[in-house]
Amino acid sequence: MINVQDIRDTARDLLAKGEVRAVIGWRAGSRGMAAEPCVVTKPEEADSLVWDPTCYHNLALQLVNDRKDLVHSKKTATAPIGIVAKGCDARAIVVLLQEHYFKREDVYIIGVSCENSGVLDERKVKAQVGGFAPSAAAFDGDNFSVKTAKGDKKLAGREVMADRCLECRTPFPKENNTAFGDDKTGREFDAQFAALARFEANDEAARWEFWQRQFDRCIRCFACRSVCPMCFCDECVVDSIEMKIAPETTAEEKANRIRWIERSAVRSENATYHMTRALHLAGRCVDCGECERVCPVNIPLRLLNTKMEREAREAFGFDPGASIGGPSLVASFRDDDPGEFIR
Amino acid sequence: MSEQTYEPKIVAFLCKWCSSAGSDLAGVSRIQYPANATPIQVPCSGSVSPMYILSALKKGADGVLVSGCHIGDCHYLEGNYLARRKLHLVKELLQFVGIEENRFRMSWVSAAEGAKFAEVVKEFVDDLRPMGPQEKLKAKRA
Repeated sequence: MINVQDIRDTARDLLAKGEVRAVIGWRAGSRGMAAEPCVVTKPEEADSLVWDPTCYHNLALQLVNDRKDLVHSKKTATAPIGIVAKGCDARAIVVLLQEHYFKREDVYIIGVSCENSGVLDERKVKAQVGGFAPSAAAFDGDNFSVKTAKGDKKLAGREVMADRCLECRTPFPKENNTAFGDDKTGREFDAQFAALARFEANDEAARWEFWQRQFDRCIRCFACRSVCPMCFCDECVVDSIEMKIAPETTAEEKANRIRWIERSAVRSENATYHMTRALHLAGRCVDCGECERVCPVNIPLRLLNTKMEREAREAFGFDPGASIGGPSLVASFRDDDPGEFIR
Repeated sequence: MSEQTYEPKIVAFLCKWCSSAGSDLAGVSRIQYPANATPIQVPCSGSVSPMYILSALKKGADGVLVSGCHIGDCHYLEGNYLARRKLHLVKELLQFVGIEENRFRMSWVSAAEGAKFAEVVKEFVDDLRPMGPQEKLKAKRA
């Protein structure tokens, strides 16, 4: 069990000594029990940091945003930025480092291990507590306890934990400057890729029948893209927003600018969008599951991403988020990559 | 469109150095093969973005062919190695969402293999014809 005071003390010390200019972490949120990301810049604010099973957010996203702010405002950082990171957050940071998004010395990672636990899935919690939305949640050994209007309730860990956490093997942030909690790397609650294997047992027609329903439902709110720490492009291929329009730009030029994917929320465009995103995340997605969590229409996006992850692992022996120095998936190759499908 | 008149439309991304020259050779050698493939010359099979393939399907292609130099013969040394890896992922993803396996095909055709190019196109057309038009990813426009 991690004592949250340790995290606060570390953050306060780092800020007081000026070793970091800010610490990215979670604080108590304003929406129900969920914690929210925050950036602590003063030592006395460090006590607002929390660590509980509602720390869903992948904070690597805040790191990306911080980097963008620096670049866009043409400022140079005076000191590294601190970040509280659980296992998946740290894996995402490793991928960002691998892609040279920032330097290792620019970030101070305060690792927190999920140990034999993980974050909650609010939908599963709601089903368990029956109508009374919890106002707070806490780790309780390997299980959880939640506060509801009807009193406290204990919930079995396996019943309410997020799917991504059940499949997670690396709850400990291997890349860290300091870390709290026990290293439980290699734990196994659910077989990895279990949901994927179940889905793939369907035949082609059933798979398309399933996905066309998902793609039809997408409203193209781009929440999956916004929440993803790997989707850091300033201009996404989906919306070409940066076409320079000058007085002499002709209507024809405007009409003929390249649009790989139209913005209208129809099946063909949605399908292309989600497939393109899966391909852009191949070998980069660390399965933090944030895209699926934020999807307002419950599209099982993790299926697409874990499909690419498993393919990368099985066909190319590639493990995203494992090491900083390694090459990226699609910019490297091996002589014995599978090629039987090529005539 | 009735079944008799249906002809599959193929978008073929051909590497400038090998497959494109191979298709030329098929032409100057007067080898007869179906005229269903629309060739698009690309600098290298490694330059084929997955977007090209998805976009072609979205715009109504019944099949997409990507063809490049044999492994080891890339003009840019390693482009086709990168293509092999990248397009393996595309192939897997297409199958995963339930697009027919035969809608996407990849081949290595050298500049000397005009006959092989004709054979690849012919086989592809033969595989596509019984499947009928590709409607799954095709954009529906009024």
